[in-house]
Amino acid sequence: MAYVATRGGERAIEQAERLFRQDLGQIDLDRVQSIRRSLPYLVDRVMGEASLYDEDIAALALAQTGGELSEAVLVLRAWRTTQPRIAIAEPLLQEQLLTQRRISAAFKDIPGGQILGPTLDYSHRVLATDVLEGRPYDPPAVEAAETPAPARQPSLADWQRVQGLVAPAVDNSVPLDEIPDLTREPLLFPASRAHRLQGLARAETGGVLALGYAAMRGYGNAHPTVNELRLAEAEIVVRHPSGTAFSAGRIRVSQAEVTSKEKGGYLELGFAATFGWNEVKVIAAATLDLNSAEAPVGSAVHEEFYLYHTESVEASGFCIHFKLPHYVTFQSILDAMRDAKAKKAAMSASNVTTAPQEEPAL
Amino acid sequence: MFNESGSSPASGRFGHGEALDTLARSRPEGLKALAESVLEDFGDLRVIANRTGLVMVPMRDTVENVDFHLGEVLVSEAHIADEAGNVGYGMITGRDLERAMAMAVVDLAFSSGRSTAAITTFLETEAAALAERDAERMRGVEATRVEMETF
Repeated sequence: MAYVATRGGERAIEQAERLFRQDLGQIDLDRVQSIRRSLPYLVDRVMGEASLYDEDIAALALAQTGGELSEAVLVLRAWRTTQPRIAIAEPLLQEQLLTQRRISAAFKDIPGGQILGPTLDYSHRVLATDVLEGRPYDPPAVEAAETPAPARQPSLADWQRVQGLVAPAVDNSVPLDEIPDLTREPLLFPASRAHRLQGLARAETGGVLALGYAAMRGYGNAHPTVNELRLAEAEIVVRHPSGTAFSAGRIRVSQAEVTSKEKGGYLELGFAATFGWNEVKVIAAATLDLNSAEAPVGSAVHEEFYLYHTESVEASGFCIHFKLPHYVTFQSILDAMRDAKAKKAAMSASNVTTAPQEEPAL
Repeated sequence: MFNESGSSPASGRFGHGEALDTLARSRPEGLKALAESVLEDFGDLRVIANRTGLVMVPMRDTVENVDFHLGEVLVSEAHIADEAGNVGYGMITGRDLERAMAMAVVDLAFSSGRSTAAITTFLETEAAALAERDAERMRGVEATRVEMETF
């Protein structure tokens, strides 16, 4: 075993961090609040992947890391471990979500109707370059309806069950403190459904999209159609010491169901949800869930493959560890390569001095 | 009473749960000012907890009805008691211990029958403001409703 010593490393490391932070400049409350106000979807993405919901803390992580998402998620996950867990909230139920966007691509006449909500889906993707010329872009205000939309929308899956399109519901509820928790127990395979959905909820958006997209393009066994997509706010319902249930506030959540083909007389459904409004992630994640049942081991849609490979902190950590010194192990590769070259050269030299061998008879 | 579980009215139309809902979402400045004013009526208060922490948030899967953890929400919590043993409690999403403590003080004041009129007025004002904010947002959402026809 050999070692490589570094001289001046401590000072260089300190200066490297200083250089990074110097480039970012001063971080103050104004900058954090500006990030929170102006980049809500980025803040949502970081909160979802960090599995920690707090817009100020997430905006601070983005400010402190210059928007390097892997670092921001890592900082948040690390900070999360410093906080005690005080309580477990009541489960969020779909029909209680304060729904602001809800569409179905499979059924046009869904109970409660289709509400586009805040979206750029149908917009021209035009960059407002006038802003760079000093002319601010002021978006036109919404022409609000006279009556508000209902805050709560019924469950499409429940309606489909009544119609006999989806398998009957089974009561799978468990006490709150018995819900499997990836943050306190290892991920083992085959994973429980609770682990799978928790893993997808905190998975890296780009990774989930890449693998979900592979399934959509034919590398899975099920092509998704959006059964229902929701962007909503959810109440965090906790308990007063007297036992009274109350909402401590609201958070933004996304959820998606995707459907494919009939199986056993029912439509198959895949499901996913996450913190924040991130519909690409939940559609892709629900597609992976949909494909899981019949996925060949080792394929991109097999749960072991996608849960391991979309865990952002482990994945980015493994990736960046390759920047650390590997001089000694790499030296053995060089030694082997040089040895092979030397043998090849020796072989060539001996071939020059001896008569070429005849080709063996066929 | 305000500190009892169930929906017995704390004051007027506000049951305990609804009052707590409103306090947790009320505007911070007004809540803190109200807590400052009602605090003058108290003797020594015991602080049982005043901290930030996490609330685990489960969600129910709509396909197989399985509860899973969506993640954790940062909250601020305050738990206090007066000399008579009445309890005040506040929990709000976010990192504002002053706001959580203000909620706990107002909860305690109501449970022990102090400053009832001022607190009721505050709850009514805040509940109306919150309802109006929600209604305004949902009027905007309603404007995005689409009807689809097949030809």
